Amino acid sequence: MKKSGSEILESLNIKALIESLIAIFIGFLIGAIVLGAFGYDPLSAYYWLFQGALGSTYGIASTLRYATPIMLTALTFALGTRTGIFNIGAEGSFYFGAIAAVIFTNIWANMWFGLAMGMLLGALWALPAAALKVYRGVHEVISTIMLNWIGWFFVLWLIVGPYANPNDPNKTIRIPIEARLPNIGYGLSIAIIIAVIAAALTYFLLWHTTLGFSMRASGMNPKAARYGGMSPKKAVMWSFILGGLLSGLGGAMKIMGEGPTYAISQGGANIYGFGFDGIGVSLVGRNHPLGIILAALFFGMLRAGTALMQAEAQVPLEIIKVIQGIIVITVAIPGLYDLIKKVARRGAA
Amino acid sequence: MKRWMALFLIGLMAISVVASGCIGGGGGGTTTTEKKGAIAIVYDVGGRGDLSFNDMAYLGASKAAKDFNLELTELQSNSEDDYVKNLETLASQKKYLLIIAVGFMMTDAVKQVASEYPDQKFAIIDGFDKDMPKNVMMILFKENEGSALAGALAGLIAANDGKDKVGIVLGMEIPVLYKFEAGYRFGVKWAEDYYKQKTGKEAKIDVLYQYTGSFGDAAKGKAAAQAQLQQGAWVIYQVAGGTGLGVFDAVADELKAEGKKMGPPFAIGVDSAQDWIKPGVIIASMMKRVDVGVYTAVKDAVNGNFKGGVLELGLKEKGVGLSTVDDVMAMFNSLPEDTQKQKLKDLGFNSKDELKQYLEQTRGQIPSWIWDAVDQLKQKIISGEIKVPAPMDKQGIEAVRKAQTWQEMENLAK
Repeated sequence: MKKSGSEILESLNIKALIESLIAIFIGFLIGAIVLGAFGYDPLSAYYWLFQGALGSTYGIASTLRYATPIMLTALTFALGTRTGIFNIGAEGSFYFGAIAAVIFTNIWANMWFGLAMGMLLGALWALPAAALKVYRGVHEVISTIMLNWIGWFFVLWLIVGPYANPNDPNKTIRIPIEARLPNIGYGLSIAIIIAVIAAALTYFLLWHTTLGFSMRASGMNPKAARYGGMSPKKAVMWSFILGGLLSGLGGAMKIMGEGPTYAISQGGANIYGFGFDGIGVSLVGRNHPLGIILAALFFGMLRAGTALMQAEAQVPLEIIKVIQGIIVITVAIPGLYDLIKKVARRGAA
Repeated sequence: MKRWMALFLIGLMAISVVASGCIGGGGGGTTTTEKKGAIAIVYDVGGRGDLSFNDMAYLGASKAAKDFNLELTELQSNSEDDYVKNLETLASQKKYLLIIAVGFMMTDAVKQVASEYPDQKFAIIDGFDKDMPKNVMMILFKENEGSALAGALAGLIAANDGKDKVGIVLGMEIPVLYKFEAGYRFGVKWAEDYYKQKTGKEAKIDVLYQYTGSFGDAAKGKAAAQAQLQQGAWVIYQVAGGTGLGVFDAVADELKAEGKKMGPPFAIGVDSAQDWIKPGVIIASMMKRVDVGVYTAVKDAVNGNFKGGVLELGLKEKGVGLSTVDDVMAMFNSLPEDTQKQKLKDLGFNSKDELKQYLEQTRGQIPSWIWDAVDQLKQKIISGEIKVPAPMDKQGIEAVRKAQTWQEMENLAK
């Protein structure tokens, strides 16, 4: 199956790309105004933001490191929206991926085993919501939010209970050294490469396989898809399962690929929130796997730049968060607008 | 789409007009006086404004920066994932005399970054690792010593009022909290003995204890304290950060129900001089002087006395201690002006002097011989005559829990 580059671009939609770039520009502009209003020099602030994120090898490595988990959770959300569902269960699958990595690498210290179990548990955790949606018509927003909380407290219990590290009780036991993801350098592991491959595979699935076609068709119009001989139920089911698998992979790689401790912290502090961030990344990336890679890098850059922005431009973290929030919202607006339009249209149909 | 964009741009212009007015007024210039060097401090996720750990660290760092004419750079951490990045970024600048990491959660991150930058000096508050590189000063506190004073105070108040129970509400069950619990138990047992020698009457005081598993959940702290009050706890020591604020609430509610303005029952605060949070309810606080620790580290680095390894601060070094009214007022004065005003208004005071008087009145609810007794214990610990146990693991704390007298506990310390 040979595909030329122009077809990939076509699916990405040039118009969307330009809209996003304009949105980024506007976001930075508003951010600059707010910075100015608080009495900080916007030029210096942005200079140090980019210097921190891209100005050194370490900065670039940090950007890539921060981009990795949200890239995968964004893919989960994108698979959902492409299939016409609002799957916010990435968060829960992420927790399960992370705890699975801790549990299973300590049974057999093998990297691939850990990743596979992370994916498996992530996918399993997506099953209840999928089944409720397909067989009982329970809305996925309700079920995934509730399942996220159930998953959260269950994993918290595993963290403080059976898998707490007796020598360091505020963390779980660590991933054995042999099972950790190889380090490329500067604290960056091969997780980023795996995430990009996952994005490419997701793209391939959606636009170059029968299953992907039926997923997208059901997403646009489930009735028409059924009329066309496809099974929207099957499409939704796969969308949940593959989505859970991707987030589970993200959770596993978060713990197996990021030092210094290679363990989950008590309170789950280092595994919380990535699923929700993924929604933003997906919207900015216009729910397209390749757009998501770019959007995740953009988010990662914002995160990586905060240290120098604080240290050199003297902007406090609270203000930085406000600025980044403004930028992210502005950038997500076109994607959100599209999504609402789509939902409204489906509602009318 | 076009119309939407146009609306957006109009809004943008409106904002920029308003904002440009602000910029004109609020442009704060950076005054560059000749500084001798720079230090940096990285806060943990609790961050500034916690009225406790991180704020105390700032207090010490800013005082040191002023005294030694240094530039101070502060970095907050958005999440745990930022620790390594923040430390690494600062270290790679190669311009800081000392980088201070606040909180045990940064231990692994400091260990990693410090080994990558062996020429950079680091200090970590509360963090310990036996394989820590030589360029890291680990500042630890003898919380057991300060908690012994809290225990003696609690025990004597209870004994004096003919009560037989005191309580302690703790956060997560981590080894550092065992030191608090052990010290408190030691103090209570010491109080039993002291009371018997002074009055000839037997006193048997049980310590009710609960680990709530959290440092940020006031509701849990309140529930735990209510349960202890119901069982008859006469004084409750909170060692649970934000969770502990609920302990103060529970004791305050109890006083209200009894129609009293001041205890007993009392609560004892922790980390900073917390008495001002609920005057009348909090009899004293066990201060952990993070500011002293940070200041000491900077001073040593400036004077060329910096040494890697553990620096332990106890009662003798004024690293821990029971708060005095002056300590409380100093803490209160370090709050932002608006917060002070609001707090005074909430408490119904017209001035700081009234707050101070009220705090003194609270302490006056207890006979002065108790305060003298606590001071006596303090002097004995400082002189080394009495040693307070500091268990570091489950086994150690279990042994302290089983011990019947303070002498037995002291043997565990040796």
